[in-house]
Amino acid sequence: MSNEILTLLIKRIAVSFLALFLLVSFLFVLLRISPGNPAQKYISPNFSPELIHQIEKSFNLDKPIITQYKTFLINLSKGELGISYTYRQPVLSVIKEFFPFTLFLFSTAIIIQICLSIILALTAVKRINGKLDKFLSRFTLMLYSTPSFVIGVLLIYIFAEKLGLLPTSGLKSFGIEKLPLHLQLADYINHLILPLATITLGGIAVYYKYLRENLENIYDQTFVLNLRAHGYSEKTITLKHVLPNAVNPLISVAGVEIGMLFSGALITEVIFGLPGMGRLTVQAILSRDFPLVIGCAFTAGVFVIISNLAADLLKAKIDKRLAKGMLN
Amino acid sequence: MSKHIKIWHMILLLSLLLITTRFSLIYESVVLFTKFFLLLFKDFTWAFNQLNLQLADYFFSTITILLLPVLIIIARNKFRLPQLEVSFPSGTITILTFIFIYAPLITDTNPDFQKNIGVTKLLPPLSRVYMLKLKEPDAAADMKTKFLYQKNKVVKRSFDEQIIFADSLKENDSIIYYQKEKEFHIKRELLQEADGKLFEKRVFLFGTDEYGRDVFTRLIFGARISLFVGFGSVAITLIFGLFLGFLAGYFGGIIDSALNRIADMLMAFPIVFLIILILALFGNSLFAVILVLGYSGWMSLFKIVRSEVISIKNRDYFITAQMLGLPKRNLLFKEIMPVIAAPVLVNLIFQYGNVILAESALSYLGLGTGGMYPSWGAMIDSGQQYLTKAWWMIFPPGFALFITLFAANNIARKLSAYYNPLLKS
Repeated sequence: MSNEILTLLIKRIAVSFLALFLLVSFLFVLLRISPGNPAQKYISPNFSPELIHQIEKSFNLDKPIITQYKTFLINLSKGELGISYTYRQPVLSVIKEFFPFTLFLFSTAIIIQICLSIILALTAVKRINGKLDKFLSRFTLMLYSTPSFVIGVLLIYIFAEKLGLLPTSGLKSFGIEKLPLHLQLADYINHLILPLATITLGGIAVYYKYLRENLENIYDQTFVLNLRAHGYSEKTITLKHVLPNAVNPLISVAGVEIGMLFSGALITEVIFGLPGMGRLTVQAILSRDFPLVIGCAFTAGVFVIISNLAADLLKAKIDKRLAKGMLN
Repeated sequence: MSKHIKIWHMILLLSLLLITTRFSLIYESVVLFTKFFLLLFKDFTWAFNQLNLQLADYFFSTITILLLPVLIIIARNKFRLPQLEVSFPSGTITILTFIFIYAPLITDTNPDFQKNIGVTKLLPPLSRVYMLKLKEPDAAADMKTKFLYQKNKVVKRSFDEQIIFADSLKENDSIIYYQKEKEFHIKRELLQEADGKLFEKRVFLFGTDEYGRDVFTRLIFGARISLFVGFGSVAITLIFGLFLGFLAGYFGGIIDSALNRIADMLMAFPIVFLIILILALFGNSLFAVILVLGYSGWMSLFKIVRSEVISIKNRDYFITAQMLGLPKRNLLFKEIMPVIAAPVLVNLIFQYGNVILAESALSYLGLGTGGMYPSWGAMIDSGQQYLTKAWWMIFPPGFALFITLFAANNIARKLSAYYNPLLKS
């Protein structure tokens, strides 16, 4: 058995590496066929042809395309993504500054989404086709149809502009460093409520839909009837027997949804002006900072590939039958 | 909604409503068209050079709006579509399509029209300002000049020196009007008279934005962009997904596994990053956005077509058709297409909603159609800066987006429930 799991692990990781390789190659091809070349930023029309040639040579542009591709791969594996034009720093160190926040926002959002959708689905399933159930399925479809930036702007309008309860944007208030620690923390939380609400509301519909359907199907199955006949309490049945069965498919949905959620986090960061990868990417694109753009796309790709891998492994860990299915 | 109202009733009602409310504009447009038609015989090259996209747009919408009531009454029993009952999603889609085609007739300004920004900027909904029109020079007897004069009357331009907006106005022997407390005088003879009055009141139904442009007009023309991007991208997705899916499903082997692997990779990648990357590298224009959004959606369609083709491949009727020697093109269109039409249609409608969403998100990020055209996402983006002062810049486009996406999702869900009744239970 352990041997099998090891094979699975190796196979799955190999697939992830293949995906990564394809991604990197895709990035390279995109870069090469796009108009202009990397040296252009450093060339002025006043330069003599020899100087231009020298600059292009320093970028290895005179070498054959295969050599360039090799250099590109080697540089990427070393983590050398070039130097950002705007930040005047290596791209990797810029990304290191911005990535932790996105990771935090993203993981908090995914936890809240899953917990909230479990609670909602459980309450809805208690009375199938009841008023609450119908309202929730309609409401989640409405949320699913609303773009996240519309939700975000609406939330800002209601809670920040009209009620004046929460701040509109940013991560912290001006000059909070002087305040005691617990007030600082409260300030950060205050600033994060609206962004988290925006991401959560946007993504909750998908989880809710899957969970509700799963729960409905599982409650109909005979083993639940059997447990009820044996006199187990409804709480035990739900928590110990129904939920584990219902959550499992959710993980594969989460694996696919991670990419979507990442995009959602990107837009949310832009709406609320938060210092994360999303805003960094958009800024980099608007200022035509290509090394940074490539770095951001690369990081996002790696992140999504890793989280897909994690979701798959988690699924195999929970359900051993799936592990066998993945092997074939 | 009543059970007896059908789509064709609604189309008839909408077209008659538009004809009655915009009768003068449609009349002028018909006059313009006849003048154009006569000029085509007199001086073909000159007249043909006058025909640009905007003018053609006016001609097309004028002619079709006059024919539409007749056509819909004649054709209502020949097709199934006009016989459908009106529900929220189908009604919304009908209205949106109507707006898409007749945008120039519905609105009475150009979406980019701005004049006297000091007076018109950030006006709340239903606010009125005084509008003065300077007299046009008298039309000469020349036919071409007459045509150009008529064209100015019909086709709305993004600039118009003839129009003056004012906050308030006094009538003396000359007209005195005020723009932000500043006083201006103008002689009565210079102004154009309409219905015995020298001025009229311009109502901004949904208010104006920070440049004094009419939000309602931009909303209507924004619907055009959204729907156009949606149709274009879905068409590209259809071509890619169908072709690649057929290729992979029919031939199998290494093509199949390679395409499948690529589709898996693209599905895992946050597609917005990919789209942004491509738009950043190649520049963003309307067609770039359509192309990229269309390309980025082929994976799910590919998967559906591929699995359907694999299952059809082993059915008896397909093997018979193959043995009869049908060419591959016919196999695809005659044997496979009718079977996969339903799931493909459902997927395309979902895709349509996704594309509209993605386009608005891109426009919101400032990466959309390049600011050349009014877009709902871009309207929300610019409105966010004026959130405290001007909520009307955000709510109409946000609501329009929501309605459109909600209708598309609803239709897709209903269709899939209709085609797979087993899934529902």
